[in-house]
Amino acid sequence: MLAIDPVWQADTQQAHFRLLLDAMAYPGRCLILKTLPIDGGQVALSVLSTLLDAEVSLADPHKLLKDDDWKMLQTNSVAVDEADYILCTGSQFTRFTPKLGRLKSPEQSATLILVVDKLGVGDLKLNLSGPGIQYNKLLSVTGLAAQWLARREECNIAFPLGIDLILIDDTQIAALPRTTKVEIL
Amino acid sequence: MIERTNWVSALKTLPFNELLDTTTELSSDWTLRPKSIPQSGLGMLKIKESAFNEQFYLGEFCLSSAWLEVTTPDGQVAEGAAQVMDDRVELAEALALCDAILSAQLPGWEKISSMIERGLIIRESTNNERKQMLTRTQVDFSLLDDANDKGNAHVSN
Repeated sequence: MLAIDPVWQADTQQAHFRLLLDAMAYPGRCLILKTLPIDGGQVALSVLSTLLDAEVSLADPHKLLKDDDWKMLQTNSVAVDEADYILCTGSQFTRFTPKLGRLKSPEQSATLILVVDKLGVGDLKLNLSGPGIQYNKLLSVTGLAAQWLARREECNIAFPLGIDLILIDDTQIAALPRTTKVEIL
Repeated sequence: MIERTNWVSALKTLPFNELLDTTTELSSDWTLRPKSIPQSGLGMLKIKESAFNEQFYLGEFCLSSAWLEVTTPDGQVAEGAAQVMDDRVELAEALALCDAILSAQLPGWEKISSMIERGLIIRESTNNERKQMLTRTQVDFSLLDDANDKGNAHVSN
């Protein structure tokens, strides 16, 4: 009876979960989202709806989500320093201290989701290397403030503690796990 | 007016097809938007034991929930929600729609109201039946006392 936006449906979320696994396994690879929110909704919902539930928490310091989005996500809104996931605008750097995990549980750290203008094109050129990348991978981005990458570097200095990044534009995602070395060209 | 807390339990006594047909007919030109994802799952029944007052899980029960917003063509907006011990999400959606219709008195609310009245009568009848069944299972321990007294009297004699 109720028409549910496909991003909230199980089969879409399974497909996007697979996409996220591939993005993390092959850093810098731009992968096209299968389904986008209808009616011009926040594109990040395609990823958030897959990752979030009542067991995890989200911080939205840039207020990208509407109240109705929170109700659909059924997740916990917390401060940035406590959140499992943090959603921000890529072009607007904000300094905060995310969860970095502990040596016993490095996975208890934050995943930063940055909404950028475009992946695959742009003046910001990143040379990526590390696990999942055969030699080097070039990733161009539009709408990503370089300070995010510097902050990522600071957070990941005590590897395995650190943060992982997911970049989203209007149709694609790419990931920069903490194991990836990023050099700005 | 019947209390809102009784609406869902009253409507649940009615046949599912009747609920679905009525709500589909009433909402044919309305816009229905979910406020949260309608879902179906299991609730865990927690109970405290009386020795150490510790909680444990007695078992599971089916639970479906729905929360939606209705907008009619003339601009009336209403919200309705339902949680029901059933594994059918469609039932929760239909009940949530009934909740919205009656709470905001949207067109067709009288139909829902009369369905609730019918449902309450059925629910009352079911509850009475259950009470009678429960009463028949109760043990009259005073009869045992009488039996013991007679036995002791025999021995002492």
